[in-house]
Amino acid sequence: MYKLFLCLRYLRSRVIAYFAVLGVALCVAMMLIVVSVMNGFLNRVEKAAKGLFGDIVVEATSVHGMGLYDEFIAELRAKVPAVQAASPFILNRCFLQVPGNTAGSQIVQAAGIRLPQRADVTDIARGLCYQQGDSQPTFDPPVRELLDRQEQLIGSLETIIKKLPAGEDTSADALILHSRLENAMLAHLWSKSILQNALSYQDDIRTLQAELDAAYAKSHGEPTAHTEELEKRLDELVQKASYQPPPYHVILGLGIPGFSFRTPEGQTVRLLMAGNRVAISLIPLGQLSAASTLSLNTKMFTVVDDCCTDVASIDSEIVYLPFETLQRLNGMEAQIDPQDPNHVAIPARCNQIHVKVAGADGGEDRLAAVCSQVEAAWRNFYSAHAEQIGADASVLTWRQRQAAIVGPIEKQRTLTVIMFGIISLVSVVLIFVIFYMIVFQKTKDIGVLKAVGASSPGVAGIFLAYGAAVGLVGSILGTIGGYYFVRYINEIQDAIDHWFGFRVWDRDIFMFEKIPNEVQLIPVLLIVAGAIAAGLVGALIPAWRAARMQPVEALRYE
Amino acid sequence: MSEPAIQVEGLHKSYHLDKVMLHVLRGVSFTVPAGQFAAVVGASGSGKSTLLHLIGLLDRPDRGTVSLAGQDISTWPARRRNHARCMEVGFVFQFYHLLGELNVLENVLLPPLVNASTLGWWSARRPARRRAMEIIDRVGLSQRLRHRPKELSGGERQRVAIARAMINRPKVLLADEPTGNLDSATGREIMELLKDCNRRDGQTVLVVTHDVSLADQTDRILHLRDGRLSE
Repeated sequence: MYKLFLCLRYLRSRVIAYFAVLGVALCVAMMLIVVSVMNGFLNRVEKAAKGLFGDIVVEATSVHGMGLYDEFIAELRAKVPAVQAASPFILNRCFLQVPGNTAGSQIVQAAGIRLPQRADVTDIARGLCYQQGDSQPTFDPPVRELLDRQEQLIGSLETIIKKLPAGEDTSADALILHSRLENAMLAHLWSKSILQNALSYQDDIRTLQAELDAAYAKSHGEPTAHTEELEKRLDELVQKASYQPPPYHVILGLGIPGFSFRTPEGQTVRLLMAGNRVAISLIPLGQLSAASTLSLNTKMFTVVDDCCTDVASIDSEIVYLPFETLQRLNGMEAQIDPQDPNHVAIPARCNQIHVKVAGADGGEDRLAAVCSQVEAAWRNFYSAHAEQIGADASVLTWRQRQAAIVGPIEKQRTLTVIMFGIISLVSVVLIFVIFYMIVFQKTKDIGVLKAVGASSPGVAGIFLAYGAAVGLVGSILGTIGGYYFVRYINEIQDAIDHWFGFRVWDRDIFMFEKIPNEVQLIPVLLIVAGAIAAGLVGALIPAWRAARMQPVEALRYE
Repeated sequence: MSEPAIQVEGLHKSYHLDKVMLHVLRGVSFTVPAGQFAAVVGASGSGKSTLLHLIGLLDRPDRGTVSLAGQDISTWPARRRNHARCMEVGFVFQFYHLLGELNVLENVLLPPLVNASTLGWWSARRPARRRAMEIIDRVGLSQRLRHRPKELSGGERQRVAIARAMINRPKVLLADEPTGNLDSATGREIMELLKDCNRRDGQTVLVVTHDVSLADQTDRILHLRDGRLSE
């Protein structure tokens, strides 16, 4: 009992113990911040990879892609029950232009996806702006809904503008910001006016497009007088509406340079929104012909949404197009046999199939097991249809597919945690030095305790309990401090940036908009246990020294 | 004659001081009957405190035996010696040796606290506290329960030390120059307290002092000179 009593009393009354507690608290907070940020960073990289590729990727080994993907998906779902959803995917480099604005031209990647099926495989729906919260997003959302959302965006921008200090700040930065916000407001209003105009044409465009698709289906894709007539009418309607038909709708990544900017407070302001038209040009790399015959395919697209995955490298690079549209532009559509219009000579192709596995959070082993099943299914399917499929494919888990990115980050995390762990050993040394000093100061007390019957293990116990208590109190304070630091790490960075003009986290370097700020329980418990152990280890030698003291020597100590 | 509370036989003790060997005790033998108030007198450095430390189980002799209530303490294991230091012997030091972080009451409660297990303390604390209050009242410090040692005078600190030594009702009370750091009036008060312990509680009290006038107040005086004892 006296061990606990004296330990608490020494903890309260020895000012020097506060320094030991402070040292431990700082080390714990530092470890917590480093581990949380590094883990958060890795988690986001993993999440981003899964967000883009799903859990398992079946990827064609040739740029021409693989055929019979829908047949394989159907077989896969029938044969591998763990497969929850699967979706074909095409990826190609493209040139993105805003008509009338040559400065806004960008080289980006066009991703051909099927909506809403894609939302079952990845979490694309989560980051959409105009179809926010819609679990069944589409490339053809009702213009009325786009208009409502546009009104909200205008309202948000007005709020940002109202919050600016009117006329007070005349610095160059403030004036530039004012000017950019005014331009953004014009762009918002312009977008609204396009959508208002398109509102009355959308149904007619849809109907005509459906008629055209049916006509092409009837003629096996060959132009006829009827299709030409329909195309002409559709073109006139599109010109009037300034709004493309559904196959030519695009979702932009929110972060493509020049299409949005961030205010100093971190708000994203869009400059190109729903209703605007962009031209997309690409070389049809999927076309099965000699490279010399490849020519640029260019089409106009209407922006219907933008997508924020929170991964800067994805958001600034990718635009999403309807799968069949990109397939056509990329030369991967089905080829009809000229001799027999009812026979498909070469089936339509895709680059990848992204697979969502049910309960994929069950761990890497489970995912690897399902991946093996998918691979086996592919091998069977490919051996049965190799001629029609064309190129073979590799089957990889998202982690294997992204090993080149995730692996180094994992190693970096481990290295950083080890380095900071070594730095945190300073707390052991700190406690050792402070306790060694305390034992010297308390030599007479040790003599008195032994004189009134305290045993050597009992005396050692006081200092060990004292060390553990310093570790515990320090780790509690450090955990609280570290938790709040991590939680408000982005605000702290903004404050540092505001006051000192120094930005630690650069989205261009670290891929993400914000510093990850999730604190996980297991690392916290490990760090707290480590801090208590550090307290015990630091106090071990002083405690041993105290225990060895003879009462007479201790009482005579000057 | 009552049974011996303290029995010392042929006690030898020497120390190394740098490279010199100091023979502090050279075959000291004596017996103190239970309930006697005895004093060991000697010049500074004559080995009085060393003798008291050996009797009080704070040190071990080179040769010879010390017996408390007829039991040879040299055969006792560490656990038994710890228990005896807590329950069977009370020690009063010249420099009080109170714990600065604890107040008067807590300092007095230290021996029962050391003796109790964590769970045992919850049942032992009430009687221990009652006994501490009673004994603090007896040494005249009931108004200063919450005071820290640094807030007390030398005489008050020594009273606290006596109360601490008495709390577990040890059969033997050892006092090492208990008045050595006090003025003569306070010293007399402390001696009165020790006498009171001897008379009222029947405790065997052995005081070491260099002050002959103080020793005169005891029942018996033993002289320690050059490591040897004479009466």
